Amino acid sequence: MPCERKQLRYGHSEGHTEVCFDDTGKYIVTCGSDGDVRIWEGMDDDDPKFITVGEKAYSLALKKGKLVTASSNNTVQIHTFPDGDPDGILTRFTTNATHVAFNSSGSRVAAGSSDFMVKVVEVSDSSKQKTLRGHEAPVLSVTLDPEDEFLASASCDGSVVVWNIEQQTQLISWPLLQKTNDVSNAKSLCRLAWQPGTGKVLAVPVETKVQLYERGSWDHVSTLSDDLLTQPINVVAWSPCGTFLAAGSVGGSLTVWDVNSKLCVERQKHEKGFTVCGLAWHPSGSQIVFTDTEGCLSLLDGLNTSVSNTEHTKAAVKKPAKDYDALFDDDDDDRLMDEGLSETTSPAKKPVTGDDDDDDDFLMPSTGRVRNRGAILDDENSQDTGSLRLGQDKFGDDDDTGSVVVPAAAKSAPLRPVYEGPMPTLPQKAFQPGSTPAHLTHRFMMWNSVGIVRGYNDDQDNAIDVEFHDTAVHHAMHLTNSLGHTMADLSQEAVLLACPGTDELASKLQCLHFSSWDTKKEWMVDLPQGEDARALCLGQGWAAVATNTLTLRLFSIGGVQREIFSLPGPVVCMSAHGEQLLIVYHRATGFDGEQALGIQLLQFGRRKKKLINGEPLPLSQRSYLSWLGFTAEGTPCYVDSDGVVRMLNRSLGNTWTPVCNTRETCKSKSDHFWVVGIHENPQQLRCIPCKGSRYPPTLPRPAVGILPFKLPLCQTSTEKGQMEEQYLRSTLFHNHYSFLSSSGYEIDEDGQGQSQKEQQELLMKMFALSCKLEREFRCVELAEMMTQNVVTLAIRYASRSRRMALAQRLSEIALEKTNQIQEDEPEEQEEEPQYSRPASRFGQSESTGGRYSSRHDQEEEEEQEEEIREEEEEEEDGQEMETEESTESKKRVNPFAKEAGSPVMPSLTPIGKAGRSNPFKMLGSGKPSAPSGQPRVTNILDNMTSSKKSAPLSGSAGKQSKGPVLKPLAPRPKTKTQSTLLQMTNTKSANKKTQQNMEPPAVQHKQAEVPPPTSPAENTENKRPKTGFQLWLEENRKNIIADQPDLEETDVIKEAMGRFRTLSADERLTWTERAKGQSGDAADLKKRKRAGGVEGGAGGEDENGQAAAADETSAKKKKSLDPSSKLSAFAFNKN
Amino acid sequence: MDPSEVEFLAEKETVKIIPNFSLDKIYLIGGDLGPFNPGLPVEVPVWLALNLKQRQKCRIVPPEWMDVEKLEEMRDLERREDTFTPAPCPYYMELTKLLLNYASDNIPKADEIRTLVKDIWDTRIAKLRLSADSFISQMEAHAKLDNLTLMEINTIRSFLLDSLNCMFKLRSNLQPGSSKAQFTDY
Repeated sequence: MPCERKQLRYGHSEGHTEVCFDDTGKYIVTCGSDGDVRIWEGMDDDDPKFITVGEKAYSLALKKGKLVTASSNNTVQIHTFPDGDPDGILTRFTTNATHVAFNSSGSRVAAGSSDFMVKVVEVSDSSKQKTLRGHEAPVLSVTLDPEDEFLASASCDGSVVVWNIEQQTQLISWPLLQKTNDVSNAKSLCRLAWQPGTGKVLAVPVETKVQLYERGSWDHVSTLSDDLLTQPINVVAWSPCGTFLAAGSVGGSLTVWDVNSKLCVERQKHEKGFTVCGLAWHPSGSQIVFTDTEGCLSLLDGLNTSVSNTEHTKAAVKKPAKDYDALFDDDDDDRLMDEGLSETTSPAKKPVTGDDDDDDDFLMPSTGRVRNRGAILDDENSQDTGSLRLGQDKFGDDDDTGSVVVPAAAKSAPLRPVYEGPMPTLPQKAFQPGSTPAHLTHRFMMWNSVGIVRGYNDDQDNAIDVEFHDTAVHHAMHLTNSLGHTMADLSQEAVLLACPGTDELASKLQCLHFSSWDTKKEWMVDLPQGEDARALCLGQGWAAVATNTLTLRLFSIGGVQREIFSLPGPVVCMSAHGEQLLIVYHRATGFDGEQALGIQLLQFGRRKKKLINGEPLPLSQRSYLSWLGFTAEGTPCYVDSDGVVRMLNRSLGNTWTPVCNTRETCKSKSDHFWVVGIHENPQQLRCIPCKGSRYPPTLPRPAVGILPFKLPLCQTSTEKGQMEEQYLRSTLFHNHYSFLSSSGYEIDEDGQGQSQKEQQELLMKMFALSCKLEREFRCVELAEMMTQNVVTLAIRYASRSRRMALAQRLSEIALEKTNQIQEDEPEEQEEEPQYSRPASRFGQSESTGGRYSSRHDQEEEEEQEEEIREEEEEEEDGQEMETEESTESKKRVNPFAKEAGSPVMPSLTPIGKAGRSNPFKMLGSGKPSAPSGQPRVTNILDNMTSSKKSAPLSGSAGKQSKGPVLKPLAPRPKTKTQSTLLQMTNTKSANKKTQQNMEPPAVQHKQAEVPPPTSPAENTENKRPKTGFQLWLEENRKNIIADQPDLEETDVIKEAMGRFRTLSADERLTWTERAKGQSGDAADLKKRKRAGGVEGGAGGEDENGQAAAADETSAKKKKSLDPSSKLSAFAFNKN
Repeated sequence: MDPSEVEFLAEKETVKIIPNFSLDKIYLIGGDLGPFNPGLPVEVPVWLALNLKQRQKCRIVPPEWMDVEKLEEMRDLERREDTFTPAPCPYYMELTKLLLNYASDNIPKADEIRTLVKDIWDTRIAKLRLSADSFISQMEAHAKLDNLTLMEINTIRSFLLDSLNCMFKLRSNLQPGSSKAQFTDY
């Protein structure tokens, strides 16, 4: 018996209510504790007629145009129906009547009262009345036998009595109920009912069951019960045909039994679980109307009593009912769940009587509806994202309509021919990356690295808020969204908005160009009729819109239409960065939950070109695209619905590398991370953690979190795996430097140097690890990735751990690398002819020296010359020592030339970019590096830090020449590479002899190195005597520059002064002595002393120690060069 | 010690802010701060956070304990226990005052939080007075109180010490006096 429960609606104020139909079934008549009788023309009647019958109406009965009510003035009144005119008082009691009932013909009315009496009155003549006395407590209910012979009544004394009306005697009394003292305390109203027609059976609700007694014999014939009924039944009513019995219970259960089969054919639960206290059948038997103690009225429609009436074999009735039940199950369950919320609140409300607030609640008949609507909306929300998944196992079209169409779908499903191949996937809709779904009333229309665009679309307001992360860009904006924009993008220059077209209005594109310098900050463009904007994005100086006609339109930021071209498929989303435009579109139909997306990467600006030409976009299995964008540095990235972040690897033929899986860090399955931005330097994935959803709500304002990247390499739990992952990640995130420099952007040299250093350090660590694991082949592989400087360290490490074969191989690699550098240099010099001179200076130091020495303009320059000369001397030494080998190796063909060369190549020497000097900053570079020879390799990694600082310099010879600032310093780095080469050969020759004897050559070399500076100094500086500091500076300048390559000339000197001061007094004295020895000028010494005195008291010590120090001069000379002493010099730069 | 000094110390606590400006790392005696990226939370000391907030350069993210539910729990616990429970933060009172005074617009349910923290404070101070009272009335020589915050100690210090001194003087005056009296009696 399928039936539909109509929406609950407010009928009366809280309290006991009763309901009945009029004879025709046209009206529903209710009474309630507000004393009104309302006459409803069906459930949808919003303005029911009402008759006020008293302060309270306890009961009513309606038959043949007579409305009988029991009201609070202790009377039973008659009103005409439907006019509602008073028609006299039928009878009076000493207290109020509790229940009134007509007989089937409508000639008599029975009334039970709280004064223990039952009266039966003739409607036509109220004087003819019978009084039935015998109850010992208030009467709960009365019912008249259809044949007018008997009357049954129930009372609070616990008895159910059958009376003979004529004789006014009790025929039988059953003690069925619990005793109470008042109707209001009775557990159940115990509304009895005779079976209509012949009145064969009397139904008595007892607790959770209905007892049926046979007329005449008054034997108990059967019991109707239902397992799901857990609370006492309040009221029972027979269907007009007499086959079905409906019961309403305290807990709000409605049950209908087929009396013949004694089976429950219908179960319904009250929408809010209120106690049912009035129940009536429609004369046709197809509807049951019921009311509850909260004054609400509801209706069950579609009860199919007539059909099952004719054939009530058990199977016929039960089976279809069950089937349908199953069909509707979902629906009902859903609703019950929806109502669960309100249900829980109701018990708390019940005890409170006369609470006006509650009334207000129910005065709005639509409250429930609104809630329901909300629930449905929510469903849609969840389905919107989930619909794609649903799509894979259904036919995929109508999923959004949800459970409502389920029966229809179930019906139609068998009709379709069964296709068992792969199912096409619902193509994902176009979206703006960084926005939340469009159907939300409050949503993010865009959240990117520039700011946030929020859209509000509720009753009060249809507006857009634009807020910038950096208030320096622009102040926050509030716009009214009269056009109904649904898409937005935000850049440093403008806000771009678009709305879909309607029947009358074309789709519009609006651009708030707030960075414009003129007064017109806004422009608007109508798209052609029938063309709807689907995706949009803002680049630097341009805006792009993709439409449903597979067209991409490009505008300048000022509103000039610049380009138009067709897309290969429906757009999914777009993103822009600088001059790059990234478009993702549907390449084809996907199957089995997969999306077939294609991607294009275009570059505008001066060199317009397509970088990625419609390649398939790799997504995780059965996922869809959820975010698309660029890193802050301009590398394309995207996130799929499985939370995997992929980044373009430009160095590997534009492949996509998974760099992070956000789901791994989620605590629960339903949690997600909503990506808002990606940065490569520092490596940050900026996203908003969302608990239990895919996107965040606008309120409370979500906080951005940072996730680290992690490449999904094998065995990342092991040390090896970790380091490999770090190295690979570092190189991957390093790619953007070469891209940026190639496209002419300035790059963060510090960051680049840092990441290179990190990479080399990791390589060295991996090298050491493989050494420990006896994997020499792997060591060589690693060494091939290293820069030349690090290879020398590796060689040292290998030889120290007695791996001579490895060291040998490594030295070959080192040679190759060196040659590579040398080969590269001339090429670059050809490109830049003005710099060919320093190169040709090789081997002719005298002449170049002479040329340079002719310029005595600035002291600084002189100092530089000194240094250059020094280095040249070194070179000469070195070259003498290894001429043979180098010539040999030059001839050799290097199969790995390109690879080996590449890591050494890329660095640009940072020039002209003075670092922020900060008085509190601890300078990590305080340790002076000692590129020319490290006598003791106590810890290979420690030393690497210092020696590698010179790495950027070593490789930069060629590149630097491209730099716009021409500096006399430029040639030096090249000579430096020579010196490192020399150093390497030194160690190598040492290795050949014996491992322990590694140091002597280095030391020797250094000693050889010391004297040269003095002699050229004497040559060039005849006229100008030098101070000790200047001498020292000459010696150490190189180190300083290696440490802080970005210093200006003046800064170098400052830095040098700082370091010189940190030298011990003795050392300074040594330098002074040397200066004296050269110039013999005492005035200079005094000057220096004053400088020393600034540091504090050092000068005095100088005087004292002078004699002693003089003896040790030669020793000190050596010592002063010793890097270990300088290591202790902690540069606490006070400038 | 002045309450303002305690507040000064409390300002060294760190708090998360979301700056709306961009700045490199800054190097201060107390340590390096930053870098500041617009829209990205960063930890800074309270004094800086308040300064930036007053210049409308940031939004303050309330500390984790500054949450109505957590504070309610703490208040209830504080009321249940006879001893002091661990305070939500060593400078909870000062931070609440500072943050709510200057950044109440960034803190959801600021008024409720103010009331709750005041409740906790009152409960704790009441306990403190009670223990001071029993300390004196039982003539104890020492007592141990755990989980007190600096501000709480500070509020009772001057009063307790002064009054103990005073009582000591009274007692020491009393004894010679009484002995004198005894002597005279003799």
